[in-house]
Amino acid sequence: MELVGYAVLAMATAAIGALGGLGGAVLLVPILVLTGMPASEAAPLGLLTVAAGSIAAAPRQLRERTVNHRLGIATELVASTGAVVGALVSGLVSDEVLTYLLAAVALGAAAIGGHRKGLRNPPDPACGPADVGERVGALAGAYPLGDGVVPYRVDRLSSGLGFMGLAGLIAGTAGASGGFIKTPATSELMHVPLKVAAATTTFTVGITSSAALLVFALQGRIDVEASALVIVGSLVGGQLGAGLQSSLSPSVIRRVLSVLLLLVAVVLIARA
Amino acid sequence: MTAADPSARPPIPGGAVSTIRGRIQVPALTWTTRAVMALGLVSALLPAAARMAAATVVVAAVVAVPLLRVAWLVHRWRQERDARFVRLGLALLAVVAAGAALAALGVGS
Repeated sequence: MELVGYAVLAMATAAIGALGGLGGAVLLVPILVLTGMPASEAAPLGLLTVAAGSIAAAPRQLRERTVNHRLGIATELVASTGAVVGALVSGLVSDEVLTYLLAAVALGAAAIGGHRKGLRNPPDPACGPADVGERVGALAGAYPLGDGVVPYRVDRLSSGLGFMGLAGLIAGTAGASGGFIKTPATSELMHVPLKVAAATTTFTVGITSSAALLVFALQGRIDVEASALVIVGSLVGGQLGAGLQSSLSPSVIRRVLSVLLLLVAVVLIARA
Repeated sequence: MTAADPSARPPIPGGAVSTIRGRIQVPALTWTTRAVMALGLVSALLPAAARMAAATVVVAAVVAVPLLRVAWLVHRWRQERDARFVRLGLALLAVVAAGAALAALGVGS
């Protein structure tokens, strides 16, 4: 496939991924493998789109004050360790095994994406605008929701860290962000409001990706020329997807994306 | 006046509200995104050698910026005297550096 083709594919998958709230890499990497690219070469391209998407989304999320950096760094310590281990191990694993892993990741993302809930913590009348933000020395904070302020604290951190390590390992080996594991784990298991969980995940997947990409770069596994256009394509697609998000039903999009991921997984398994 | 319920948890535990508002991060990340997009697009139109140089800058920026954000947070948390999270941030950067060192030594290749 030509470089422009990669850029167009990255744009399309980023737009669909942004619409479904899963990110584009979980779709991009398996499709690149289906077009004939070895899984070990597709993984760095996927992670570059994840890191670029994380950077592009940051200004809006910082302005909304929904990112909890302390939670992000605390969980990222485990996730990045997983990503580094995954990236180092992936160089020793055959492309066939990586393809099966990608199929499993696509199936997992399909299952989680299709069933994701939109539960929110309620605003607390005892909290005001001055309470908005994360707390010094603690895994807690508050974020604005409409006219109210929603306080939260992180529960079951140790259980959540297990999922973060798994997400990092997936990122390092398969090239998908692992965000489809991180956001539900942060929201459902650690009781962080969904909006904060999603924004903090967007922040952390960039770090996970960088940790693995440094390993890939030093192993000479990054196709620099293709990467630049894939990054541009994913940034444009991410903006398009975010713009279209409000005009389409999120639950319908998530189901369509799940079916698409399911199809990709089946084709990957059949090919492998 | 009713007595306070000793079992009730405060709505938000921890210390003061963090002073990190993104005043530096927001413009820095906005301009980084714009620069990466512009340079990535321009790189497609350049001759081979210049294209590779431009593409390398794009990739290096995308890899480095998330780690620079961590370093920036460590700096800000030091100013907030939040020693626990300064240590966590430094440990995270050490993990990333250790992974890079292992890769440079040929582990996993």
